[in-house]
Amino acid sequence: MAKESFDKEIQFLRMLVLTTGAYSRQQFAERLGISVHTFDKTLRKLKDIASSVHESAARAADADQDMELGDMLRYNRYETSDPLLMFLFRAKSLKETEIDRLSLLLGELHGKAMTAAELLDSCCSRLAADAALPDEKTIRSDLKYLEETGVIRKINSGRPARYQLHDDLIRELSADELQELYDYVDCMANTQLPSVQGYLLRDSLKSVLKQHQTGRDATEPFLYKYHYHSRILDEAHLYPLFEAIADRRMVSFIYFSPKSRRSYASRNTNPLFERKAKGVSERILPLRVVYDHQYGRWYLLGHNTRQGIMIFRMEGLTDLVLGEPVEEERFSRHLAELEAATANSWLVDTGRPVRVKARFYNPEVAPNQPNFVKERVQQQGQWGTITEDREDSFLYEITVNGHYEIKPWLRSFGSSCEVLEPAQLRREFIEEWKEMQHGYEPVREDY
Amino acid sequence: MSLFEKITNYGILARLQESGVVPVTTHERSWLKTMLQHPAAADAFTPGTLEKLRQLLSDSEAPQLAGMLIEKAGSAEKQVYHPLIRRLRSLIRSDQGIRISYRIKDGSLHEEHCGYPYKLEYSMVKREWYLLWYRFRPRSFMATKLDNIVSVSGNSLAPDKAEAYAATVRKLLDSRIRHAVIEVIPEFNNELSRILYAFSCFDKSVTYQESSDTYRIRLSYLADESEYVLLKIRFLGKRVRAAENAHLQARMRETAAKALARYGISGLNAEEHTEQSV
Repeated sequence: MAKESFDKEIQFLRMLVLTTGAYSRQQFAERLGISVHTFDKTLRKLKDIASSVHESAARAADADQDMELGDMLRYNRYETSDPLLMFLFRAKSLKETEIDRLSLLLGELHGKAMTAAELLDSCCSRLAADAALPDEKTIRSDLKYLEETGVIRKINSGRPARYQLHDDLIRELSADELQELYDYVDCMANTQLPSVQGYLLRDSLKSVLKQHQTGRDATEPFLYKYHYHSRILDEAHLYPLFEAIADRRMVSFIYFSPKSRRSYASRNTNPLFERKAKGVSERILPLRVVYDHQYGRWYLLGHNTRQGIMIFRMEGLTDLVLGEPVEEERFSRHLAELEAATANSWLVDTGRPVRVKARFYNPEVAPNQPNFVKERVQQQGQWGTITEDREDSFLYEITVNGHYEIKPWLRSFGSSCEVLEPAQLRREFIEEWKEMQHGYEPVREDY
Repeated sequence: MSLFEKITNYGILARLQESGVVPVTTHERSWLKTMLQHPAAADAFTPGTLEKLRQLLSDSEAPQLAGMLIEKAGSAEKQVYHPLIRRLRSLIRSDQGIRISYRIKDGSLHEEHCGYPYKLEYSMVKREWYLLWYRFRPRSFMATKLDNIVSVSGNSLAPDKAEAYAATVRKLLDSRIRHAVIEVIPEFNNELSRILYAFSCFDKSVTYQESSDTYRIRLSYLADESEYVLLKIRFLGKRVRAAENAHLQARMRETAAKALARYGISGLNAEEHTEQSV
């Protein structure tokens, strides 16, 4: 069976979260490049998973059968820190019989060690009478899979092998220690990258704690604000890419530039339904992944012989496949090139370095109040430095590759920031503030 | 390795929860091992528990992501796990009140106030922790930086009181919700993706009018977050326009005028050149 790809679900959820409510079924399907039928099918599947995984989503869906998935996933951030889109990572397709068997095997291994033969016996006796009974080969391959994922392990070196749940992390900790661990995992999954593995562990710990807790014990004390929810969708590509980078392997993928309106094209084999090729087939040596905190977006940086250093938005990647390895020397050479090219990138721009000079004006606050302008420049100004400090203002200087990427940040300070150099950027700011002033002229009526 | 594993399938998850089996994968252990290397771990656990966890994970590998994954343009991380979190979260979970001494922005000290601790909140922008609490006298909803707390201890509450205070806080928060509609200027629809990303950290919905090819983003936020909404609008500049919110519109008008004054241009609405920041 071909490897199950989640490209469609990922694009679907991304669009759903970013454009909540904007499109009708037809518009949505058209923009994803899928049929309305596929749209409905995907939506139904995702709704099922969401209501199985999120209690709040399930309650919402129970209350209103026709509720939109987008609305199901909206929640009051002052109540919970459950990550909005985690249910995607529960979407791996599985036959009912496989669910039965795997959960039965794990249930049997709960608290005791068993051999494959013993497990086969107890499986056969426990599965429903009318169920197709598994053979030894199936059980052995299940055990191999569970051992590979690290959920169970062999406890002896001789034959026959005895297996046990690998859950010391849960079993060896007291209730208090589990609580401490849950809190730490919650905090790290929410504040550090990557986070999906942490969220999965958080779910597991939560279910253990629930067994001990009653009532308000289970109150979640933590909230996180200004998260970019869709950021975790791109983690789907992260681990294959890390693997490729660590092993110095090439990767190939079909790239859909996020600027084009269609972000996913179904792989139809019937030429009648073949759409105009929108995606571009790419083959590169991946070197590095960059996360941009300004928008919550991921980039893949790599190299290909024809075009040199290349930059892709992770969300445009589909059909990612790992290829053959390259020599270490080649990898190191290209990584060094990339490091040199991005040393001054505010984000990922590899353009010509420019010196940006801006004057920031201190807020008019009482002397004992914090200077929030300076605090923010210091906290977010990356490697830029404050070169002159006056009572009413200070000078900030930075060398960046092109001024395009730093511009929104400078503009976000409003009238607290005056760009001095380069002259072109100064002119652009003047023009843009003029346009914005025009846009807000009071004569303009709202409707 | 893939994040989509049979073992994390939702059907299996539900079944295992019934039987009390909690699967932990190699990758989850590796992730945890990496996270325990963060200095914040020392604030989160007693030395004994931390040692025990490290022991339990001694066979796991901590992947070296340094160099492969680079984070850009974020706020420098002030704190990840504040030493006060352990005490405060137990007080919150055990339905207790608090007695708290804290400093406010200007540095002045407020001593021995009684209140109800609602939640601990981390801002991904400020990169630090706040205690959200309800002060009894004078009555007020407070957000206090953990760094500004001088001392805090538990204070018993009458039974059922905690739930009542929690309801009060929720009501208060609801009453502070504000809305804004941000219109994407159609000329910039090809930048729609990044505009939507920029606003995706708010509770929002989007409408699209096909006839005019216009997207409108409706944001819901708390009143004290309007500065952050304004910051995002300025961040995107001429690509968007605040519609249907007189306060935001007035502020943007004022900002544009003041900004132009910085460049020596006074025109419509520009006041004296001496004006200060937003």
